[in-house]
Amino acid sequence: MRIAGPGRISELFILASVCSDVRRVSPFPVTLWGQLRRQSPRYTLGVGLLGLYQYSQYWFDTRLQIAVDAATKGNRELALTLGVSLTLVALGAFFVRVWSRVAMFNGGRIAEYELRQTLLERLHALGPSFYRRMSTGQIMTRVTNDLVQVRMLLGFAILNLVNTVFGFISTFSVMLGISWKLTLASLATLPLLTLVTMRFSRQMFGKMRSNQEAIGKLSERVQSSIAGVRVVRAFGLEGREQSEFQKNNLDYLEKNLSLAKLRGAMGPVMQGITSVGILIVFWFGGYLMLKGEISSGGFLAFYRALARLSWPLMALGFLVGLVQRGRASYARLTDIYSAVPDVVDGGKTLPGKLRGQLEVRDLSFKYGEAEILRHVCFELQEGASLAIVGRTGSGKSTLAILLARLEDTPRASVFLDGVDICDLPLATVRGAVGYAEQTAFLFSTTAGRNIGYVLPDPDTELALQTIREAAKEARILDEVLGLPDGFDTVVGERGVQLSGGQKQRIALARAFVADAKILVLDDPLSAVDARTETAILEAIDRQRARRGLILITHRVAAAERCDQILVMDQGRFVERGTHAELVKASGLYSIFAEEQRIERELEILSQEGSNAVAVGT
Amino acid sequence: MTEVATAQSKGRAEEKLKAFHEEASFGKAYDGRLLAKLWPFVRPYQRLLWVAVIVILVSAFGSLARPLVMKHAIDEGVLSGNEQVLMNAGFTLAFIAVMEQILLFVQTYAVQIAGAKSMADLRGAVFRFLHGLRQGFFDTQPVGRLVTRVTNDVDAIQEIFASGALNAVGDLVRLIGIVILMVMLDPKLSMIAFAATPLVGAMVVFVRRRLRESFREIRAKTAQMNATMSEQVNGMAVVQAFTQKEAAAREFDRINVSYRDANVRAIKYESMQDAAIEMVGAVCLASIIAALGYHSVSFGTIVAFNAYLLMFFEPISALAQRYVLLQSAMTGAERVFSLLEVEAADAPKLPNSTEPSDKSAAFSLENVVFGYKPERPVLHGVSFSAKRGEKLALVGPTGSGKTTIASLLLRLYDIQQGSIFVQGRDVRGFSREELRANFSVVPQDVHLFPGTIASNIASGEPDLARVEKVLRQLQAWDMLASRPLGIQARIEERATNFSAGERQLIAFARALYRDAPIVILDEATASVDSDTESRLQKAVEELLKDRTALIIAHRLSTIRAADRIVVFQTGRVVESGSHEELLRHGGLYAKLHSLQFAKDHIEPRGATPASTRT
Repeated sequence: MRIAGPGRISELFILASVCSDVRRVSPFPVTLWGQLRRQSPRYTLGVGLLGLYQYSQYWFDTRLQIAVDAATKGNRELALTLGVSLTLVALGAFFVRVWSRVAMFNGGRIAEYELRQTLLERLHALGPSFYRRMSTGQIMTRVTNDLVQVRMLLGFAILNLVNTVFGFISTFSVMLGISWKLTLASLATLPLLTLVTMRFSRQMFGKMRSNQEAIGKLSERVQSSIAGVRVVRAFGLEGREQSEFQKNNLDYLEKNLSLAKLRGAMGPVMQGITSVGILIVFWFGGYLMLKGEISSGGFLAFYRALARLSWPLMALGFLVGLVQRGRASYARLTDIYSAVPDVVDGGKTLPGKLRGQLEVRDLSFKYGEAEILRHVCFELQEGASLAIVGRTGSGKSTLAILLARLEDTPRASVFLDGVDICDLPLATVRGAVGYAEQTAFLFSTTAGRNIGYVLPDPDTELALQTIREAAKEARILDEVLGLPDGFDTVVGERGVQLSGGQKQRIALARAFVADAKILVLDDPLSAVDARTETAILEAIDRQRARRGLILITHRVAAAERCDQILVMDQGRFVERGTHAELVKASGLYSIFAEEQRIERELEILSQEGSNAVAVGT
Repeated sequence: MTEVATAQSKGRAEEKLKAFHEEASFGKAYDGRLLAKLWPFVRPYQRLLWVAVIVILVSAFGSLARPLVMKHAIDEGVLSGNEQVLMNAGFTLAFIAVMEQILLFVQTYAVQIAGAKSMADLRGAVFRFLHGLRQGFFDTQPVGRLVTRVTNDVDAIQEIFASGALNAVGDLVRLIGIVILMVMLDPKLSMIAFAATPLVGAMVVFVRRRLRESFREIRAKTAQMNATMSEQVNGMAVVQAFTQKEAAAREFDRINVSYRDANVRAIKYESMQDAAIEMVGAVCLASIIAALGYHSVSFGTIVAFNAYLLMFFEPISALAQRYVLLQSAMTGAERVFSLLEVEAADAPKLPNSTEPSDKSAAFSLENVVFGYKPERPVLHGVSFSAKRGEKLALVGPTGSGKTTIASLLLRLYDIQQGSIFVQGRDVRGFSREELRANFSVVPQDVHLFPGTIASNIASGEPDLARVEKVLRQLQAWDMLASRPLGIQARIEERATNFSAGERQLIAFARALYRDAPIVILDEATASVDSDTESRLQKAVEELLKDRTALIIAHRLSTIRAADRIVVFQTGRVVESGSHEELLRHGGLYAKLHSLQFAKDHIEPRGATPASTRT
């Protein structure tokens, strides 16, 4: 009681109020207080049931006392009636206990579910500046460890808080009703249980954490050793790797054993305290019985009540740590819940049907201090094509990202059909401007579903046809069909490994299926050979009636096909015109053209005489 | 028709995805074959396990004795007014209780030591095994999967020990003992308790199966949920670019919901299980008391019965959880041992070695035919050799097979035809350590290991004085030792705290420290800016001094130091000779050279340095 006093309860509420200014996107509340309130019907039911359960236990013990006394005094009728009603109460207590657990633990589980779902939705709404701040690893720790701590707080902790209070009332009523002396004697050791649990649970948590860190280091070591296996071999480092690994392995072993020792000690120490407590009661109770101060029924009832008391005492010890950790974890979760999205929907709509005309006016952009784009201007008419050519680091990719507002595009710089894209809903902008990136990211699902990523139901006949068509246009169909399960082959990070070029073409097919009015391709074919690239660009040309194209590339041969070419250098356009014009102008573009002509020749040289496929190592 | 086809295709994709996600599926809970494979690792620590078994048995008997002592104390002490008996019984009980707890600690700790140590050994064995596999194996396996074998899968096996599977022995003895003792104490009363047993049995069967299913699903869904979450975070740009927030959230919600529901089910069955055990104990007690009036029995017997009843149903609750852990342990063992069954040893010493035509060469290739897949050769009958101390350059377009040559000299792969000789001996006649001791390699992509600059330069325990000497020789000391911790500076994950140039210098230092007779530079300066390149140029000169060298190069400028140039094209040697000879010859090299020259020439403005990266 002392430890779980009102101070602790109010703590729960303080954590709630800290975070009440969090903005809400989803219908689920993300504050602890909000969740407590939302789950309150379950909690209320649970509290009622726990009270009823503990009362039934009180009833059982006190009637047990009467029944045993009656039986020993030969009152067999009373013993029989009571025995039958005790059986019925035990049966009833079963259901009450199950329901109380279900009601309260479900509250915690449902809260966890809602918090997790909201977390994902928040993450979807957050822009790149957030992801530059927080790494995937940090996010995942929050989703896994921290959320579990919060759930423990909302389920386990609350249940046991309530149960402990009722349990104390129930057991002490039984015990004090039998003998205050014996009750006092039982208190000689039992409160120790709470203190010991508190200590153990704190240490346990610390050790579990360092155990996790040790396995983390171990797997980093293995990861690095396997990723660098060529170096290991070339330098004969097998022995060194072995001994480095062994260091981590032994460290993990040590952490393991120290955790094992604590775990191994925890049970015996706590059971030891419990049994010593029970022994004292047995002993002293026996003595009191001998003196005739308590009856044999009283002895048995006291004994049972005491056995019921040990768990609430231990739970109390756990609670302290749970509340502390739950609070710290929740604070870490608010890093995500309270992050403000930098790219948000605008309120306007397009004046009419989407035409697909894009205009960039005086666009400048910085990352921190570094100026990436300086006063960029251009216009893309409906169904026209435009190439942006430049070296690595000239700002091309940043420009592409800004066009689809995947970064925080400055106001009044990019206009879609004459409307500032910052004033339009994100869905409208990104639906109109389809973007395919250079480093193709595929999800760990089937090839077909990756291509049909935007389709609401990728399994209908029509969808399958669309997917197939897009794969064909992106020149990946044959290779997909050659995979172990064709379109049903699972690809992506954890699936079948594809080459860079294959990934790029699947990502391109995905962009084709999305069927945006303007297609922005950020060097999407850098890992594809020139012949395939030409075929793909021809396919895009054929769809020109349907959509405009902005092609960001370092290849002159690809840029050549576009109506207009812009040459970018150090964040600004230095040349613009058609291929023929630019080659004549003998500027940067003509240098690229000459360089690439030579490279092309080198490539042809290397292909001469043999059509064997070169395998890189 | 269409609907049927759709249903089929949907079924197929779902099936593949399901099969894919079920990597976390479960096998049998018991598999003798796997246990037999596990045994050699446990054997060194078997004494601990025997100690544990004995301790478990002893403490089982102790806990069986306790209620008997209580009965004695009540019947002969309390009810007979004999304080001495009560006193003595109290001491006996205290002794048993304390001993029992001490033994419990000894037992759990002993089992855990045996488990943790044997699994550390297994982990070491898997790691060692991996390093003995041939390079081709790693080309087809995702790194993450292999890491999992060493870490998570072995941990799953360790759960057998941590979960106290051995306690089942004690539980069994205890159950049998309780039955015997209860019958001996009072056959009629014990019948009441046993009458409840079929009920409990039915309940246990009912609850346990469902509980097991829920636990299993929770495990699988947890893995799937975390994987999906981290993938959506990694692919956030794609989710946002295609405005698939809703669809992605829906997909996640499906998993999240089934995770929640599996947990909700587990909660229900778990609390049913706990409550049932409590209820059965209470009902048994109540029935005994109801019968008490008609069947007189000592109060001590009732107390003892109550104590036995509390013990009787307890072990059952641990069963379901243990069963699931056992299953996942077996799955882990299955994966680990099927990896250990892979037969692909790296560079074993073979008897069929041949003699070279020129014994004085530092290394030579004779009619080498090789393909990563034998049906697709990348080298078609390659022959060339390097004299001791000669600097040989390999030149050719990308993909012509140059890097492959380096791999073959180290015998990372075995060739299909021909022979390769190092220091006058067939590479197949060496042990792999002996062969590779001849080479220092500087690769294009430098791999740095977790540790410090010094530990990355030295192989084994770093000799700091020598590391310093090497770095000074390369004129790289100022650059690398300028950090607060000097050459003891830690390398962060993925070496993000080192620039490409610094990494390359570390690789040069590593090669120089090794001091092997043959140096292989594999496009070693391709990925650094021109400023660093000039610095590296000096390092190259230093490294190559008095050694045989194979310089693989893209840029012709880096091969000026070479005595002789071998020109490669699509897996064949097309020309070889000195720079001048080859230019005079007017073949591929001359063409490459003029093109390169032209390319260098059209950059008069030095255009844009890659200083502003996006």
